[in-house]
Amino acid sequence: MTTRQKAGETRETAVRQDSDIAIVATAQLPAVRRQELTETEMLLMVVDEALGKVDLERSDIGFSCQGSCDYISGGTFSFVPNLDAMGAWPPIHESHVEMDGAWAMYEAWVRLRHGDIDIAVAMGSGKSSTGDPAAIYPLELDPYYLAPLGLDPVSLAALQARQLIESGKSTERELAEIAARSRRDAAGNPNQQVRAAEQDVDKLLAEGYLRNPLRKSDLPPISDGACAVVLVRGPRAAELTERPAWITGIDHRSEVHNPALRDLTDSASTRLAAARAGGVAGVEVAELMAPFTAQEVILRQSLGLADGVLINPSGGALTGNPLMATGLVRIADAAEAILADGRSRTLGHATSGPALQQNLVCVLEGDNR
Amino acid sequence: MTVSTQTVSTIQFPYKRTLGPVMGRFFSELTARRIVGIRSGERVIVPPMEYDPETGNELARDFVEVGPAGTVRSWTWVAEPIESHPLERPFAFVLIRLDGADTDMVHVLDAGAEDAVYTGMRVAPRWRDEPVGRIDDIVCFVPGERAEAPEGEPGEAREVTTMEYFSTITYTDVLSPTLVRYASNLRAGKLTGQRCPRCNRVFLGRGYCSVDAIRLGPELDEDLPDRGVVSNYTIVTPTPYPGQKETEPFARASVVLEGDEMVIAQQQILDLPVSEIRVGMRVRAEWMPEAERDAAEITSKGWGTVAGFIKGWRPTGEPDEPAEQYMNRVF
Ligand SMILES: [Zn+2]
Repeated sequence: MTTRQKAGETRETAVRQDSDIAIVATAQLPAVRRQELTETEMLLMVVDEALGKVDLERSDIGFSCQGSCDYISGGTFSFVPNLDAMGAWPPIHESHVEMDGAWAMYEAWVRLRHGDIDIAVAMGSGKSSTGDPAAIYPLELDPYYLAPLGLDPVSLAALQARQLIESGKSTERELAEIAARSRRDAAGNPNQQVRAAEQDVDKLLAEGYLRNPLRKSDLPPISDGACAVVLVRGPRAAELTERPAWITGIDHRSEVHNPALRDLTDSASTRLAAARAGGVAGVEVAELMAPFTAQEVILRQSLGLADGVLINPSGGALTGNPLMATGLVRIADAAEAILADGRSRTLGHATSGPALQQNLVCVLEGDNR
Repeated sequence: MTVSTQTVSTIQFPYKRTLGPVMGRFFSELTARRIVGIRSGERVIVPPMEYDPETGNELARDFVEVGPAGTVRSWTWVAEPIESHPLERPFAFVLIRLDGADTDMVHVLDAGAEDAVYTGMRVAPRWRDEPVGRIDDIVCFVPGERAEAPEGEPGEAREVTTMEYFSTITYTDVLSPTLVRYASNLRAGKLTGQRCPRCNRVFLGRGYCSVDAIRLGPELDEDLPDRGVVSNYTIVTPTPYPGQKETEPFARASVVLEGDEMVIAQQQILDLPVSEIRVGMRVRAEWMPEAERDAAEITSKGWGTVAGFIKGWRPTGEPDEPAEQYMNRVF
């Protein structure tokens, strides 16, 4: 098996086997400030689109897994109506994670590794527009020490960003440059929400702080959206698409839940997950889920990405942040860099929990013919 | 007729949590205005955890008093506090390294103005007048070395074993175009669904077929009769919980609309003792008076409901349908 290539092994020597799994199609809805469609309707659209790209029917699907969050949607068991996006007939095998769709994809990958089914669908969906993230997120923190303090996500990100800057690992200018680059890239990506915002670094630095040392440009938008990917085992993958995006490594790791106990300027779990997923050597494109500019710096430094690596050419989470789909969108975009743009080795990353507590890394490869 | 496309709902949870031996000790000590951490190898972790964050091993309960003063390690300024924040005036969230601790603690700092705050500044707790054993017994930290507390020595620590926390979140839901049309029709006294071209079932208030997973647009709209048959029911003996209004056993029934397979769940049967409800019974909708019809319970989070428009269902007195016909209905 080639699931984890040894360091130094070149792409040309990799041989795809029956047990290997590839992403063969992806679909996402444009991230928007407020989506009128229900989560189920959004998922119907992305599942239709993703399956349509490879001429599959729902009856071909052996397993599906979705990621969503009751706290964000404001309803109990909100994944139950969402399941209608896969239909009830023929009888289906499905699962749900109360996590970003990237973790749903991980579960689908594990399910495919059992070897008895060939095709799975992973989805993620969320509508942040219905509630106030500043009021909801503290409730997901430690309920004893943190939630009663009402520590909102932007304040937490600001505490992290200040430590990064004061440790000398970054500067406010670098953060503004990340915001500007993300906005330039988003301008050409119809799936991103922030496409016409200020891109001049000096003008961004002249804007006031929202939470010192973070400005509005260092923050993600509040978005609604959905994403789906189709995963297929070896023999079928090559039949369905010309250039499958092979998952050569996928891993997720988590750190202690109380962010004050961690070194917030480092992401040990991302580094470990990347090493377990085969490492970053030769990666051409990295789609990193960094909702805050400072988090991109932390992820990049933790992964040790080379200067030439294209980071978030999609525009990233800073310009479109459909919670519970944002991470899966990163992996989908990293897969499209292979499926559609002919790249050879890419990386998709997703995060969850406060201040980069949990991290998932997925390394993808295309065959060079 | 139009209906509001927005519904606003507030969800509230009164939590009561047990604290266990480690956090319980921390909160107990707060009642005597003392802050304790726990030893983990060479380090003192504050506030204490039950296990070593690196290895996951349970920690020996070796508590160490720390602080009360400490040093700011990171900060951010909140110029416009929101309701869920602990202070109503502008304040700073801070990471504080208490004297004697090896980890930081998140808390808030009342410093008056943003330019008074800096990394490295010395701060000390302002204690609540009557501590109860919660993290906000420290109301906030203030600049300087000396803790602020009411006159007099603190008493003995009281044992604190539980903690209460009240959460509240408000959601504003915008109805999808399908649901707006559905609610408008309900207001006009009409039950409207869409018929799936593949399986021929009609679905109320969702805009897609749950069986075939295909979208059903307005061109497939079909009015349904407001008469039906009870397909299933349950009798509920109420137990008291926040928000429970019923005091006597009550029934919730599923109604299959006449001439169709659509099941409307969780319905009330009106003017009939619960003991007389039966599967196969024919019923007719009792609509709310037009002026009282309200779309507040139509939301995009689930399947179609008739709550707010149909009060319940009244037996028509006609002969029952054979009950066996409804035995394979879950709802
Ligand atoms: Zn159908």
